[in-house]
Amino acid sequence: MKWLPVVRAVRVPWALVPFVALVGAPVALALATAAVLSVRDVAGRPSLAAWRAVLTEGEALGSLALSAFVATAVVALALGLALPLALALRDRVRRGIVGAALHAPLAVPAVVAAFVAFQLLTPSGIVGRWLVAAGVVGGMEGVPVVVNDRWAVGIVLAHVALAVPFLVLLLAELADSERLADLARLARTLGAGQRAVRWRVEVPVLLRAAVPQAALLWVAVLGSYEIPLLLGRQSPQMLSVLTLRTFERFDLADKPKAFVLAVLYALAVGAVLAVVLRRREAS
Amino acid sequence: MSFLSVTGLTRRFGAERVLDGATLAVDEGETLAVLGRSGSGKTTLLRIVAGLDTADPGGPGQAAGSVVLAGRALDGLPPEARGAVYLSQEPLLFPHLDVRGNVGFGLRVQGVPRAEADARVDAMLRELDLAPHAAKRADQLSGGQRQRVAFGRALAVRPRLLLLDEPFGALDAGTRTQMQGLFQRVARAHGITALFVTHDLKEALVVGDRFARIDAGRLVTYATRAAFAADAATGVADEVAFWTSLGEDAP
Amino acid sequence: MTARRLPAGLFAALVVAACAAPFAVLALLSVADGWTFSAPWLTAWRLGRWREALAGDLASSTALSVALSLAVALASTAGGLATGRAVARCRHRRAWLWMAYLPFASSPVVLSVGLVVWWIRAGWAGTLGGVALAQLVFGYAYGVVFFASFWTPRLLAYGDLVRTLGGSAVQALRLGAWPVARSAAALCLAQTFLLSWFQYGLTLVVGQGRVSTLPVRVFAYVGEADAGLAAVASLVLVGPPLAMLWLNRRLLRVGMGDGG
Repeated sequence: MKWLPVVRAVRVPWALVPFVALVGAPVALALATAAVLSVRDVAGRPSLAAWRAVLTEGEALGSLALSAFVATAVVALALGLALPLALALRDRVRRGIVGAALHAPLAVPAVVAAFVAFQLLTPSGIVGRWLVAAGVVGGMEGVPVVVNDRWAVGIVLAHVALAVPFLVLLLAELADSERLADLARLARTLGAGQRAVRWRVEVPVLLRAAVPQAALLWVAVLGSYEIPLLLGRQSPQMLSVLTLRTFERFDLADKPKAFVLAVLYALAVGAVLAVVLRRREAS
Repeated sequence: MSFLSVTGLTRRFGAERVLDGATLAVDEGETLAVLGRSGSGKTTLLRIVAGLDTADPGGPGQAAGSVVLAGRALDGLPPEARGAVYLSQEPLLFPHLDVRGNVGFGLRVQGVPRAEADARVDAMLRELDLAPHAAKRADQLSGGQRQRVAFGRALAVRPRLLLLDEPFGALDAGTRTQMQGLFQRVARAHGITALFVTHDLKEALVVGDRFARIDAGRLVTYATRAAFAADAATGVADEVAFWTSLGEDAP
Repeated sequence: MTARRLPAGLFAALVVAACAAPFAVLALLSVADGWTFSAPWLTAWRLGRWREALAGDLASSTALSVALSLAVALASTAGGLATGRAVARCRHRRAWLWMAYLPFASSPVVLSVGLVVWWIRAGWAGTLGGVALAQLVFGYAYGVVFFASFWTPRLLAYGDLVRTLGGSAVQALRLGAWPVARSAAALCLAQTFLLSWFQYGLTLVVGQGRVSTLPVRVFAYVGEADAGLAAVASLVLVGPPLAMLWLNRRLLRVGMGDGG
């Protein structure tokens, strides 16, 4: 089908002016400001001290490592749960009470998820009480510590709880758009049994199609703030928490370090997004 | 003086010259069939005439070419003030309007009084055998019916110029032949002046009164049908040779 | 996969229960009165907490959040519709889309660190308008990304058709494109509303603690270790998004039925 070619030079793109003024300029300014202020000391003199401090002190590298670990764990666990759910539920994902129930968690913001997770998972929380009541543990000291803990278990669980319903809905849509049922039928005619259809067709097709969204989820978790703020330890902290805490410190000499963290974060995420965008455009 | 006069139209996209000094003339009530492959610049030509795109200067210090319709220069006029209706391969029927609403759409936007608009729509529906389908929506019509509705919508506003961009390209062979015949009948009945662009040689020969060929942005016009057929670049001779050879091979 | 071995009904019930659990926890906490460790269940209720909470600061925070999110959503959708169309028609479409993705290259909190420097200079930090402008950076960008793919060549061709039939540019938008754009605009409105409604970190930094939106209020109650009030505020916070989601699902179902 041939369409009217709409690619034409926009001679006076007036409709783009507010976009530049309200989005492009502020973002560019913010990123440029962070970059410039990251190479100046408190007195405004050029200095790489903040960069040296951030890259050599354990805190920033620890934060980066923790953030990457949490983001990776969340994506892996969430996909690991969502994939079998989506394949098991199939069309029920879109209709009836199951469909409605899966949409409900999309209404829960990170701040509420953090609060609920805290109330559930803290040693004196609801789960802890049930463990004590059931006789599984003797008292609060026996309840596993998953909040403000070393391995950020609570942070991972809270993010996974938020991500799984979204991923189930996404995978159900992808199963349609990738024509999974047709591919499975084809595989059967080629001699594949049920197990082979599941592991050689359905799972790889869905995982491949989900990569861009999984990458965006990874980026979102990497930069998350509210959940690690409430459920994380004092050290190491996840990137956004550390960045803001550094920025708000009483010692002004710490401010350039916050800008260094902001630049590092933007570079890392920019690289991931560039790959995702290229892949999207190619498909 | 010609009814439609196009002089020296040039259009560039980056380094590529999509149109290169295109010049043509069409008399009133005449259909100029423009033959060209995909990417030859035919759509760009129609869009500039319609006012949906603007021509570039031909060269440093040169003007951007001109389009004159019924003695009036169209340069700088917005599309709605030109009296030139554009029809593409896709009928683009409005999904929220029925056939009657689609045919009367142009009359509504131009503020034609209700009674007059209704009368013109009714007449058009009868002429195009669409009256039985007046209350139907686009998804209830066949491809040929949709294209007829698009025609009716264009003709209802009594355009000075009809710009047809491969309007039958998406139809099957039988429907396509029917629509070519319909176009000829309607064009004659209404004295329509038209630029009909196509990549189909046979279609060009059927619908055209005069002919042109466009290739890599350059336009060549022919004074007569014979001159068009005689030019090897049009492919008429090859077509004739092919059909003739089939007849020779027959037992 | 173990899900298959469970009866279908039980499996579905487990899924529904898991999704409903956060709301059940919030509802319980919002009416719990002195739920001490190690009681596994509520021993005392306090329904009056809702009345007290809504009569206090929570009501003003809710009103503030509604007004702020509506304003940001309207501006983002209108801007996204117009700018998305310009981007779709533009030769350098990809470059403009990159600009639209740019805010999301940094988390709102991290971006706010660079943004607040300029907001302070402009006198916008700590003001409602300043917070709205900061949120608009994300909302407007989202709207552009949303509508850049909405304005397909086909939809743009409708506008051109209306022009050649004698309609003005405004009529081309109103009569040619708006009937199709209506439901998409409603979707974008809902999604940009939620973007603003949920926003915490950016609001905190740019608002300098002086703009108490609902998420800020929730965190304040959490900081005060008032789980009951935090639960009430959280339920108020998730109310409109639940309504929006329901509306979204209805619009999606209607949109699929139209077959555009």
